[in-house]
Amino acid sequence: MKNDIFLKLWSYISGIIVIGIIVFIFLYILIKGFNVMSFEFLTSSPKGMPLGTEGGIFPAIMGTIYLGLICAGIGGIFSVCTAVYLAFYSRNKALYELIMFCIRSVSGIPSIILGLFGYSFFIMKFEIPKGLLSAGFTLSIMVIPFITIRIEKQFREFSKGVFDSSLALGVSKIYTIRKIVIRKSFGKILSAIMLGTTYAVGAAAPIMFTGVAIFAKSPRSINDTFMALSYHLYMIISEGLSIEMAYGTAFVLMMLVLIVNLLCRFLWKEDSFGKDNRG
Amino acid sequence: MNYKDKVIESIIKILTLVTSVIVFFVIIFIVVESIPIFKEVGIKDFIFQSEWNPIGKNKSYGILPMILGSIYVSLLSILIAFPLGLGFSIFLCFLNSRIRRIIVSFIDMLAGIPSVIFGFLGLIIIVKMFEKNLHMASGESVLAGGILLSIIILPFIITNCLESLLEGKGIYEDASLSLGVSKWFTIRKIVLPCSMKAVFISLILAFSRAMGETMAVMMVIGNAPLMPKLLSKTETIPSLIALEMGSVEYKSLHYSALYGAGVILLIMLFICNVLFYVLKNIARKGE
Repeated sequence: MKNDIFLKLWSYISGIIVIGIIVFIFLYILIKGFNVMSFEFLTSSPKGMPLGTEGGIFPAIMGTIYLGLICAGIGGIFSVCTAVYLAFYSRNKALYELIMFCIRSVSGIPSIILGLFGYSFFIMKFEIPKGLLSAGFTLSIMVIPFITIRIEKQFREFSKGVFDSSLALGVSKIYTIRKIVIRKSFGKILSAIMLGTTYAVGAAAPIMFTGVAIFAKSPRSINDTFMALSYHLYMIISEGLSIEMAYGTAFVLMMLVLIVNLLCRFLWKEDSFGKDNRG
Repeated sequence: MNYKDKVIESIIKILTLVTSVIVFFVIIFIVVESIPIFKEVGIKDFIFQSEWNPIGKNKSYGILPMILGSIYVSLLSILIAFPLGLGFSIFLCFLNSRIRRIIVSFIDMLAGIPSVIFGFLGLIIIVKMFEKNLHMASGESVLAGGILLSIIILPFIITNCLESLLEGKGIYEDASLSLGVSKWFTIRKIVLPCSMKAVFISLILAFSRAMGETMAVMMVIGNAPLMPKLLSKTETIPSLIALEMGSVEYKSLHYSALYGAGVILLIMLFICNVLFYVLKNIARKGE
């Protein structure tokens, strides 16, 4: 009995600590950050002397959104194509394993090393100017494994019955994939892309050398350097500029992540008919 | 098959090819860029020398402090996160499945928080607390990094522990309860022992994840290339790369040394992953 009490105590104490940590982190950022929120903070550029101690984070928000769009666009197209190929076209088992192995390995590479790669490869070798495009490329390499692995699994679980019935009706494979498989799992594909993108956009390490600027205007062209929320937060803290601004930036970044997370949860649940009548 | 279908099919194939080539190329590229430093300094010196001084007069490239720093911080974080995570998973086992699902979705959200935010919180809470309570000149230390990192990998550990615990619970719970054994006894004597192996093995993955963490750790450990001690500053490999890459000359030896550090990190992660798969297979065979 004594051992049971010890176990009980242990589990309750860690329960309290972990729930405490979670509640604390969310509430702390949300409350402290909410106090900083104002229309001006969201819509004006960094101001003050030194720059960044006052004003707002509008360019950082825009930069993050543009970066996310580029990353989702490039990463999404490549991932969906690769997933379609892996799930429906690859007949060669060895080739499949090789591609999967490469993708898994890259998914394990720390983001800072991908940033290093992006810097040397895109900017130095291919001489893409530092900016949205080069950072977007780097981030898409980071999200391709994340999205591909999820969508490929989704495609594999797609009802064989529906797929085969379509083929048996004389419909071509690619037409079936386009009109049935992709359309039916569209919500899940979208949510995988969105989740991957927010996770990439939240990372400051890979964009540090590939295009982010300490201060910049909202980007006007694809090769402009830009500000991003994650890097801006890092910069304000490491330079010790303003703790208030840091709370605000963290709040906006956190809200962005939470909203996308909830949206994805909703999209993922919206089930396709693919799963229940497996043939 | 009409014209349009053919075009789409070939686009799919081409893009898959491009993806695979790039993905493969990333790994090759990193290794190739690091070759000069290994040629110049030698693998042994690079790893085992403890002097990192790439800009001074007597240049030396030894990343031993960073390697040890990475390992120390990651091990410390697992040491803290594991008991908490396992205890919390046991706690979750006893809740009904609806409440459990809600809590688990919060834990998923915790996992989604960008690491910069963790770093920020670590700096203004953990580091400040150290400075106040322990009277340290600066609270940035291995311990602060370990505590912060343990929160970051906690969701990962909890998910893994919970999965194996629930699996064990599903198999034995009904039989055990119908014999009149108490719930806690069932967990302690049956569920825990049979899922322990899987839990320990998953710690290896948590460790490799902790090693790759950059921003959060970098913000709280002080970043001085010293041999790590619990309450002293140190530097990890990712933070070394992140801090010095911005100021380094393209294709110089220093640049190559940073790539070399990256390769060493990747090799360590690779060893962890191989170890994970080997142990997992052994455990599966043993059952």
